[in-house]
Amino acid sequence: MVTDEIFFAWLDGELDPQEAERVAAEVASDDKLTERAKRHSAMQTRLKGSFESLLDAAVPEPLLVAVHTPEPEIIDFAAAQRSREARAWAPLPRWAALAATLAVGIFAGTMVPRATTAPLDVQGGKVYAAAALNEALDTQLASAPGGDIRIGLTFRDQTGTICRSFVQTAASGLACRSGGRWHLRGLFATPEGQAETYRMAGGTNPTLAALIDSTMVGEPLTADQERSAQALAWH
Amino acid sequence: MDRSLTFEHELAAMLPRLRRFAHTLSRNGSDADDLTQAAIERALRSRAQWQPGTRLDSWLFRIMRNLWIDTARSRSRKEKFETPVEELEQLGEDPRDAIEASLELQRVMAAMERLPDEQREVVALILIEGFGYRETAEMLDLPIGTVSSRLVRGRTALLALVGM
Repeated sequence: MVTDEIFFAWLDGELDPQEAERVAAEVASDDKLTERAKRHSAMQTRLKGSFESLLDAAVPEPLLVAVHTPEPEIIDFAAAQRSREARAWAPLPRWAALAATLAVGIFAGTMVPRATTAPLDVQGGKVYAAAALNEALDTQLASAPGGDIRIGLTFRDQTGTICRSFVQTAASGLACRSGGRWHLRGLFATPEGQAETYRMAGGTNPTLAALIDSTMVGEPLTADQERSAQALAWH
Repeated sequence: MDRSLTFEHELAAMLPRLRRFAHTLSRNGSDADDLTQAAIERALRSRAQWQPGTRLDSWLFRIMRNLWIDTARSRSRKEKFETPVEELEQLGEDPRDAIEASLELQRVMAAMERLPDEQREVVALILIEGFGYRETAEMLDLPIGTVSSRLVRGRTALLALVGM
């Protein structure tokens, strides 16, 4: 006599070999048990198959963001930060050290984060890509010709984070994924009179090149790898 | 590599399985994603309690299951039987296959939803997630015999519910 518990433990591969053999023989000699085993196996296959589709489905962006969201900042600090941001570019010195030539002056009027179309956005002391720059980083492949903004290289840093260099007429820079956004690690002015050359060459500003060198681990992503990374929301 | 970054990467890699487990416990996709989000947040806050080298999946599933108990079990019966408006999950490249996969998922979720909670969680962990009886017993803090008998009742009821 096979109890329900033993029957299903056998079906689930939970019995030791000797007992499994005994139950297998009993099931084989009993049409009702054989039929029951078939129906339950079929149900489990269907059950697993239905939920399996979720493993291949794209993970919703808010969940990806939640994984990389830093601890909330202390409120007083955040408030102070906001009031400084409202005044101007206070957080800039934080990464200004990266830049030999800082593009703030160049971008006055075009890149200062004032309107919603400004390509930079300052939050919590960090500079993020916004508007057209954000869209180019999100959607443009390095191989694509691109418009005003051209993507140079896409690669991973030592933590596996995706980084992309970009070139615009007046400036070039490097942005890396952080909390579902593009965090600017460096922004450099293009030397006067060389804008078009720089843009066409994919950004050869020596300071940017040095920053890329010190950030990149391994080789730049190929076009195919870049597309895959894009499909995974740049993870 | 920085330990906290390693943790985040492993957590990110677990997202598809966490979502799947959430779907086995929840009545619809949006509840499942809310549950996943809550589990991620709790896992990040409690990351110091996870010991590197031990299984991250069991640890995360346990967090999710406890959250689910806190929220789902306090829900009223009335709400439980309202038909939720469900968005179709995007589950594949071919739209026809994707729609069929999504409808099938909804059918199976509806059947799972009708199981008592204590049967649903063992069915989810053993038949869908593939954990062994012992691992499941440890995760749920239950004797293995209890897990085994709940599994018998759960899968027998489910067979009748999905009409196979």
